[in-house]
Amino acid sequence: MYSVIISQMVVSGALMGLVYALIAYGFQLTFSTSQTINFGQGELVMVSAFFSLTLLDWGVPFWLMVPGGLLFGVVLGLAVERAGVRLALEQKSEGWILLTIIIGLLGFSAAENIWGRDDRPFPTPISSDALQFFGVSITPLEISVAVGVFTLMGLIELFKRKTLLGKAFEAVSADRDAAELMGISATRTVMLSYGLSGLVAAMAGILVSPITTVGPTMASALILKAFSVAVVAGLDSGFGVVVIGIFLGALESLTSFYIGSGWREAPGLILLILALAVRPNGVFGKASIRKV
Amino acid sequence: MLKRLLLIRGAEIIALTLLAAIPLTVSNSYVLGLLTLLAIYGILLIGLDVTVGYLGQVNLAQAAFLGLGAYAAGLSVSLLGFGMLGALTVSMLVGLIFGGILAFPALRLEGPQFALATLSFSALSTTVLNEWEGLTGGAQGLHVSRPIFWGHTVTAQGFYWLCLILLALVWLAMRNLLSSQWGRAFEALRDSPIATDAMGVGTYRHKVAGFAMGSALGGLAGGLYAFNFQYLQPQSFVYELMVILLLGVVLGGRKSLWGAFFGASLVALLPNLLSNRLLFEVISTIGLLAALVAGVRGLMKKTTRPFQAIAPILALGLLAVGGMFVKNTEDWRKAIFALMLFSVVVGLPEGLMGFAARFLTRLFHIDPPALPPATVLDRVLPAKTPDGGPLLKLQDLKRHFGGVKAVDGISITVHSGQIHGLIGPNGSGKSTAVNVISGLYAPSAGKMLLHGKALPRGMFHVARTGVSRTFQNLQLFSELSALDNVMVAMKGVYRTPLPLVLMGLARGEEKRAQADALALLALVRLKHLSRVSAKDLTYGDQRFLEIARALARKPELLILDEPAAGLALPDVNKLVEIIWNIHNRGITIILIEHHMDVVSELCNVVTVLDGGRVIAEGAAEEVKRDPRVIEAYLGTASEAAAAEPCSFQTNP
Amino acid sequence: MKKTLIALSLLGMLAAPVFAAETIKIAITGPFSGGSAPMGASMRDGAKLAIAEINASGGVSVGAKKMLFDVIERDDEAKNDRGALIAQELSSMNDLSGVIGTVNTGVVLAGDKYFQEKGITKIITPAAGSASMTQWSKAGVPDLSIFRFAAHDGIQSEMVVEEAINRKFTKVAVVYDSTNYGVSGRDDMLDQIKKQGNKLEVVASEKFNIGDKDMTAQLLRAKSAGAQAILIWGIGPELAAFANGMAKMEMKMPLIGGWPLSMSNFIDNAGKNGNGTLMPQTFIEEPITPKVKSFIESYHKAYNVARIASPVSAAQGYDAVYIFAAAIKQAQSPDTHKIKEALEDLRDPVEGVITTWKHPFSKWDPANEQTHEAFRREQVVMGMVMDGHVVFGNDSDRQRLIKNASK
Repeated sequence: MYSVIISQMVVSGALMGLVYALIAYGFQLTFSTSQTINFGQGELVMVSAFFSLTLLDWGVPFWLMVPGGLLFGVVLGLAVERAGVRLALEQKSEGWILLTIIIGLLGFSAAENIWGRDDRPFPTPISSDALQFFGVSITPLEISVAVGVFTLMGLIELFKRKTLLGKAFEAVSADRDAAELMGISATRTVMLSYGLSGLVAAMAGILVSPITTVGPTMASALILKAFSVAVVAGLDSGFGVVVIGIFLGALESLTSFYIGSGWREAPGLILLILALAVRPNGVFGKASIRKV
Repeated sequence: MLKRLLLIRGAEIIALTLLAAIPLTVSNSYVLGLLTLLAIYGILLIGLDVTVGYLGQVNLAQAAFLGLGAYAAGLSVSLLGFGMLGALTVSMLVGLIFGGILAFPALRLEGPQFALATLSFSALSTTVLNEWEGLTGGAQGLHVSRPIFWGHTVTAQGFYWLCLILLALVWLAMRNLLSSQWGRAFEALRDSPIATDAMGVGTYRHKVAGFAMGSALGGLAGGLYAFNFQYLQPQSFVYELMVILLLGVVLGGRKSLWGAFFGASLVALLPNLLSNRLLFEVISTIGLLAALVAGVRGLMKKTTRPFQAIAPILALGLLAVGGMFVKNTEDWRKAIFALMLFSVVVGLPEGLMGFAARFLTRLFHIDPPALPPATVLDRVLPAKTPDGGPLLKLQDLKRHFGGVKAVDGISITVHSGQIHGLIGPNGSGKSTAVNVISGLYAPSAGKMLLHGKALPRGMFHVARTGVSRTFQNLQLFSELSALDNVMVAMKGVYRTPLPLVLMGLARGEEKRAQADALALLALVRLKHLSRVSAKDLTYGDQRFLEIARALARKPELLILDEPAAGLALPDVNKLVEIIWNIHNRGITIILIEHHMDVVSELCNVVTVLDGGRVIAEGAAEEVKRDPRVIEAYLGTASEAAAAEPCSFQTNP
Repeated sequence: MKKTLIALSLLGMLAAPVFAAETIKIAITGPFSGGSAPMGASMRDGAKLAIAEINASGGVSVGAKKMLFDVIERDDEAKNDRGALIAQELSSMNDLSGVIGTVNTGVVLAGDKYFQEKGITKIITPAAGSASMTQWSKAGVPDLSIFRFAAHDGIQSEMVVEEAINRKFTKVAVVYDSTNYGVSGRDDMLDQIKKQGNKLEVVASEKFNIGDKDMTAQLLRAKSAGAQAILIWGIGPELAAFANGMAKMEMKMPLIGGWPLSMSNFIDNAGKNGNGTLMPQTFIEEPITPKVKSFIESYHKAYNVARIASPVSAAQGYDAVYIFAAAIKQAQSPDTHKIKEALEDLRDPVEGVITTWKHPFSKWDPANEQTHEAFRREQVVMGMVMDGHVVFGNDSDRQRLIKNASK
């Protein structure tokens, strides 16, 4: 009986962990090209989730809503880049940290007022009637999370490795100035990375909303976990986020069962601080050499 | 001088008196509550400004220190029976200790990683406060009783005066701290952590100290907060509060006590500002007009980028117009903060106080305080007679970066009193070797001995052994003035312990440091530019400034890494003179250069590197004719034979 | 016609400041945003409906003239520190006649001391946590200006435990949120189980935080301990997460708990998983009597809704205003101290939508906080969530109320 409980906790936790991994993946996309991340990414997830919900309220069929929501995510990502990141990059300052926090706050307030402060259910055609696998209950909805995460990450990785535009990513992340000299517009590539990051965030919102409901505070808990995953895995490590995400999700779940549900945040947070202290480049990342 | 004193100190005294007098005339307890909150936030934001303004990092943990200090104070009263002073001391210590604990991992980090580390600490504290119900009461909250102060019960008014007094003390102490070497060191490490270590100032220790002090103030503010509200719960100290605090510091003005104070008034009074729609409209319209004026001027004069000029106008426009149409400005509180903060970060990064200070100094023509006369150079850099024995020995030194063998077994001996040249084509390992010597990189193999003893690890420790350097890519403290750049590196002057610095007893050594720094600036002929920001100097002057700064270390061994790079001929000549001067004082110099004339003129002995190895060593003239050297620079010997052997010059 | 007048007076309240000298200043405070908003907003809207009705009929007669109500609203966002600030602000106003409201027990605990300090009359509604009043009996104050107009948790926990026993359960899990409300609710339930003969075994005691979405851990522990029913104390959003989690874990057992299970955000977010949930209610949104019908219709019309978000809060806000007005009339003064004295000895019955109130309060006795509690067991019924609405859990209750009204 006990082992069933543990398996249940680990599996549900791991599936949630995939959502963290997806959002962390979005961080990697922007960090790799611009050394920046959107500190307001949680709000981006939330606003695009609300937008998707509105599409459904307007009667848009589910399969059409998905690309609509994803597109909206792209637009938001581009907006964040333009308003919060580009100036700081040009000035080679770190003002983007504050600016992305501020844009996130703006998004939060707008969402509160446009859609209200309450949590709302997110209708989905995917069923939430539990299936039983060896005594562990998993819903098709949870499975769809895994499917969605892997599909999207896989597609983007293919894009990065197989297309010219994708390789431009790597170039700009290695040396912005050199890439520009080679004719790759660093600004456009950074824009692209933010657009993709927004796409990924919107997907995370669509996947997770049916399970957790949509509300202004929905992503504030998610985001810190996603930060943990991104940093522990390394901000330039691709699939490492999946492994760490699953690990963290399962760890959280077990913590909440054995120690107390209020403590579930703790492992992720402690892990983040430790990772930052011991290996700022992450378990899978590479240390870079500074030229002086 | 007197004018400055009157205006600045006068303003402080007037403000303090006004604030203290308000409860005597106004008896509304609500107003008193707001003013008390203002004083508390003032202390909190001054603490936050240390990390955000001076250290230049986004610190997201200050709200957590507020919370931890608050709970510590409350619990010390209920569990330990402390009085007011005891409880406040506890809250300050708690802030200090937790700040110190967080500092160790967090301060190895920069930028986003630092922000993330502080953010997780904050979330972790909230979780612990929430879950440790046995101690803190968890989500149900903790009732705090206001303790007695030296045997008397404290009324609301009395408590307000206590907060005000503490604010004044904190103000004074921080003013003393930030105008001392501490403040300079904070700014230096923000601008160039590498140079800060290389100049023996110690990036890490100052960061930790700065952060810990800021968190101690956060803890103190927490204690006062607890006794003000007399009821605590973990949810009060979350991210939302932190963003508001950042708003206060940035809007008020970073690196400014007045800025922190103004920011605190904003934070304390903002809820009231928002519920009064007319006031809100007036202020946002004023802001919009200011942004329009500034933006248009900036665009016309081309001093600001288009985005910097237009974005604040759009944001404030949205604020002013939006305010007229929304049903309830309270509901949009966070958006209003966000738009205000956005306009300030983009359009007015120095904050309102920074702007006001500039404006007021122009209006009142306040001269900066007078500088003392420069010390005689011989007292700053006394001439020594070197014995000519081996000073620095490199034995089979190696430094590899993965597969790249940048330095692949070099053995060099530098004798004291000499100017030892280090030349070689690009990529030969000169800078890497020097970086290893000065401690930026650890060696992969081999030994480095200074006076026969192994060199310590790390730039800071190496600097302390009497080795100083300049950098191939300038590492100046760009926001500091030329004078401050040199002052921060000055060795042997700053002896006042921290508590006495806080009390303002470091003025004497400040003056001494200024005088000494002026002497060094005079040596490099930059004395007339001492107040200019390093970033505003010409390239040539910046190079000379780095040398003056390196000399402030009163080094035994000075390493100059391509000091002539990019200099025009007149400056090159000036450089040669300066290096002679330094040499004549007995300082040993390692000179990396591509300018062959400079090398020939100055160097007693030259080592040539190629591919990470020594290929030749000897007097400059010999080395120039060495076929291996020629081959390394120009290609095969036969091609070079056609060229004039004595007068080639390589372009750097 | 009457309804138009009411609508006009609701509008007129915006102009009320013009008539400041002739008005009764009353503050309504509660969470109008956040997870508790359905309760706060409904309470406010019910109260304002009553005020509009009173103002439309000319106001409250005080001496020779009639005075109108002037409303000050304050949103405490269910946050204790905001509640404290609002209480400080309101209690420093020198012509405030009284305060009605507060939903969250923590906010009550943080703020009410400022009202009591200045002797400002406050009617707490609908906050139900026992601690809101027991804090005063524990402190032993001789005089109290705070009254409560809600079915407090003492009554509710009694009913919840009774219901579980009546349905022949023997093993229950007790689940509660970490706020003052949840924790004191748990304490009340455990107390009641003892008082009712220890017939229920508490096999699991689980806590959750506000904002929690994932209750898997708590559910697993309850399930593996063999719980047959869940007794729960929390508010809307988390309760819904719990109900949904139960469905996912295939735990088909009843959820019985505190009155916030009737909140719209529980019902909507739990969907069909909420059907059959039981909770004590002081008011069911069913037009069983002419007075109730009229109230429901006026509310729907005035606020353009098809369903009251929190019927209990709305009805209590409404009745509280009428009781307050009756106290002003009896005291013949808008002075908050005189209103308090009148409240403690209300001579004329007040016809409310919940019931006809006969002398709801009496002079404060620190040994017995029931002196300032208006509700007794008779005014409370068991409600049940069914298909998006709250209906009577027991038909006998419906019949009893109809009979009482026709008397």
